[in-house]
Amino acid sequence: MRISDRRFALYLMTPAALFLAIFVAYPLFRLIADSFFKISPIAGGPRDFVGLQNYVTAFASEAFMGAGWRTLAYTLVVVTLEFALGLGMALLFTALGRSSQVWRTVFLYPLMIAPIVAGLLWKFLMIDNFGLIGTLLHQAGILSNPNQIGWLSDPNIVLFSVAIPDIWLTTSFMCLVLFAGLQNIPGDLIEAARLDGARAPALLFRIILPLLRPVIAVALVVRGIDAARAFDTILIQTNGGPQSASETMSLLIYRTMIRFGDPGLASAMGTIYLLAMLAVAFFAVATIWRPGKDN
Amino acid sequence: MSSRTAIPRNRATTEGDVTGQAAQPTSKVTAPQRLRQRRGVNREGLEAGRRSTRTILWILLAAAMVLYGFPFLYLLFTSFKTPIDTIAVPPTILPTEWTLENYANALGRSGVLASFINSVQTAIISTLLSLVLAIPAAYGITRYKTPSGRVFIMAALVTRMVPPVAIGIPLASMMSSVGLADTPIALSIAHTTISLPLSIWLMSSFFEAVPRDLEEAATVDGCSRLGALWRVVIPVVSGGIAVTAIFAFLASWNEFLFALLMTAIRSQTTPVVIANFQTQFGLDWGSMTALAAVYSIPVILLTLLLQRKIVAGMTLGAVKG
Repeated sequence: MRISDRRFALYLMTPAALFLAIFVAYPLFRLIADSFFKISPIAGGPRDFVGLQNYVTAFASEAFMGAGWRTLAYTLVVVTLEFALGLGMALLFTALGRSSQVWRTVFLYPLMIAPIVAGLLWKFLMIDNFGLIGTLLHQAGILSNPNQIGWLSDPNIVLFSVAIPDIWLTTSFMCLVLFAGLQNIPGDLIEAARLDGARAPALLFRIILPLLRPVIAVALVVRGIDAARAFDTILIQTNGGPQSASETMSLLIYRTMIRFGDPGLASAMGTIYLLAMLAVAFFAVATIWRPGKDN
Repeated sequence: MSSRTAIPRNRATTEGDVTGQAAQPTSKVTAPQRLRQRRGVNREGLEAGRRSTRTILWILLAAAMVLYGFPFLYLLFTSFKTPIDTIAVPPTILPTEWTLENYANALGRSGVLASFINSVQTAIISTLLSLVLAIPAAYGITRYKTPSGRVFIMAALVTRMVPPVAIGIPLASMMSSVGLADTPIALSIAHTTISLPLSIWLMSSFFEAVPRDLEEAATVDGCSRLGALWRVVIPVVSGGIAVTAIFAFLASWNEFLFALLMTAIRSQTTPVVIANFQTQFGLDWGSMTALAAVYSIPVILLTLLLQRKIVAGMTLGAVKG
């Protein structure tokens, strides 16, 4: 008895599909279900159906709306800077060609470092009093006093400071992907444009970037999703402070669940957060990626 | 990039510039040949030719590498400082006195060695689980191209967007209801929810590259479809499996949030221990940096050794997509 190919393919996929159904879809279902209840954090405590009350509370709370905007700002800062730096490095490596290969490898190393370690390391570099960055800027004559910039203690700039480890960790990924994309651009095309008198900026904006568009889209979407979920680096650097100025959505949900003991409200926040992520991701994929249309 | 010379260059002239020797352009090469040569080496179109330009670019690269590499070097230097040196004002880059005290402190602390064992255990179980589930699934998706396969790979992509913080708590309570609370198995299952979609995605690209004739020949010779997968296809994609394994391993090794939510004392992994240094024992920067160095260096070395394969794996999905 030989089963059909279609059925055989289905059997091959079943274990993985079951795994994702049990360990991702079911917890998600529980999360959504919990968002309609007022739940006592004590195990076996009361669990009362409250309808949409948790959603109303979430949208009415300043902390939730603030965290939403901060998450958006954080994601934009991380992805923009990473893209600019990654593209710069990819162009540099491409311009240097084969002889830069060793350095391309070395440039990869932050990708292997745990985000928690990166957060810790940059906290140590930026911390008040004995942080090295303030001291070096002071010695270089840029700052009048090593503590002039409170990287992690000034609520106005802390959201930018906590993004630095994230940028440091994954610029390599951006660079790697863009570099690979650059290798696929036919050399003749560039030569032809040069013969036509195209200068470097025109070459970049008229030829290279449009040709890289599908690669850029994938890299931006992948990194955008990751940045919007950032947790480790921020937790270890500031724990969301000072005055919640670096509290992004992941941290707020975590604190609502664990510290403030309100699983129902945290679940409602988690549900909104997930829906927003899906909506933005689909929008991004539909507008900038457009799979199929670029080929 | 910034060189706008219109003269067609070939590899010989470019390399001549690097070594500083005036290489003779190979004049015997005909125009079509040269064109073909250039097509083969895509890099050439964007590679800078002028010596002055290249010098400037090398200086830029050197600056970038110093800025980029410095933070981790500073972590290493700090781990060799004495406790007083660590928080000296103003800080120094190099230790005034080199010592292994921080390493002895960090590794001697109770729970640290156990957390290493937990990290290794969790990462290995999660890697194996990812591979065992992803290989057949990816094969089914790429080889048979059924509608269910297309739906499945999209669903796997969507799981990537699920924030761990949203499913961590329900997952933890599921685990405790089946008696797996605070075990490496529970944590590795949670880590597999992260690495499985990635593994399916990667393995699909690798299977895509295997010519279909290969299994067809095997099935004609009397191999079953499963037999063909196991005996013919798997050996061909073994390099791809290695790459996927590294990614799954790294995802688990470096993961923090699930580890924080799902482990207590018994199965705590090292990232949680590193984070706990700052609350439980005050700000013990020296030990913290030492432990962070010990935890990071093995994977950095491993990846530098296997870098070619890893680069291939990282770029496959994105560039082809």
